[in-house]
Amino acid sequence: MPHTLPKVTGTIDGLKFEVSPGTTLLEAAKTLGITIPTLCHHPGLPPDGNCRLCLVESGKKLLPSCVFPLRESGGAFSTQSPMVFEARAFVVTLLLSRAPKDKNLLKLAEVYGAQADPLLSDGEDGCLRCARCVRACRAGGSEAIALIGRSRERKVAGPFFEPPIDCVGCLACARSCPTGVIAFGEEPRSIWGRDFDLVKCPRCGRPIGTPEELKRAGLTDPLCPDCRRREFSASLLELPEASFTGY
Amino acid sequence: MTQKTIQVTPSRCVGCLNCELACASRDWGQYYPAGSKINLVFFKDGGQVPVTCFQCDEAPCLKVCQTGALSRNETTGVISPDPERCVGCRTCVSVCPFGNINYSKVGRRVEKCDQCQGQPRCAAVCPSGALAYVDDAKIVRERRRAFAESFKEVVKEVFK
Ligand code: SF4
Ligand code: FES
Repeated sequence: MPHTLPKVTGTIDGLKFEVSPGTTLLEAAKTLGITIPTLCHHPGLPPDGNCRLCLVESGKKLLPSCVFPLRESGGAFSTQSPMVFEARAFVVTLLLSRAPKDKNLLKLAEVYGAQADPLLSDGEDGCLRCARCVRACRAGGSEAIALIGRSRERKVAGPFFEPPIDCVGCLACARSCPTGVIAFGEEPRSIWGRDFDLVKCPRCGRPIGTPEELKRAGLTDPLCPDCRRREFSASLLELPEASFTGY
Repeated sequence: MTQKTIQVTPSRCVGCLNCELACASRDWGQYYPAGSKINLVFFKDGGQVPVTCFQCDEAPCLKVCQTGALSRNETTGVISPDPERCVGCRTCVSVCPFGNINYSKVGRRVEKCDQCQGQPRCAAVCPSGALAYVDDAKIVRERRRAFAESFKEVVKEVFK
């Protein structure tokens, strides 16, 4: 029998939860079917807790639920209290100062009755500084980009604001950006001010990926997925009575 | 341990595409060939082979996924995608030796066969028995592993 730690229990919006210790408040809410709005959180990436949209209240204190691990039983949390609403409205106002045209933000603005405040304008370049892109890059094993610079100068870029040499052109950053503000090209491949070569499939000529990307995956001269499948199927056809279930 | 698996017998395939249709319509609500996780490969000289994910024992896709977007159910052996966790690096697509995992630019997510979580639609609609959802007894697993090893040699040749 594996040793299991006692569960942590408590309530969210009056509903009782029971989760393994270390589960975040956000995940616990999810098990109850309670949705807490998030922006910087990405379920596949380490939580960072920087946008503050996911705040919930516990005894007049506000907690960022995406980075709040549950360790002790007995907590009572509210995702709907006036205090939470007010805090979220403020967070949305701040975020709007960076991405005033973002669809998700505008929807949230409606829900929380928030409005962009011209006095707070912070570049309005569409980037929330949430660092999902940075974390996606790290997850892939590269360290091409980071949040660099201070205060209003602070932005996501390569070292010294130059096109990042570490970038393999996989585009995971652009795909995990909540506002979709990262400019990129698929074919021809370009991102962060860099242009990439694309390796072509030796069979059909279709582009497979950048040399850097394929090197990272440990591949040398691969076929494209379709031609790989074809190759494999052909080997099956040669064995007329074969059945195949996997490997 | 007995797991269930989708058994493919190419010689029985009649090329009707029922499987692709059933598969694509699960996630896309329509026949969108690029959205099918099982694919018929047609050959000029006749014959076709339906191919889908084999839920490999040593799955390369699972090994390279760093975000938990791919995970294996230890009871069934099936590797399922969690689109929410996918960041779109597409490394899994690069490393699958069979081309059986896909990143959908339209859906912005990784897509692969999860055997419909125990009720594969492709096998259900296959009229000829080319696809069958069968017990994957250990002995069979060993036999197919031997086969796969020989195929890997072929792949190595090709990838060289
Ligand atoms: S570019 Fe996108 S992902 Fe990166 S910090 Fe800005 S909003 Fe977040
Ligand atoms: S989603 Fe929790 S702080 Fe951003």
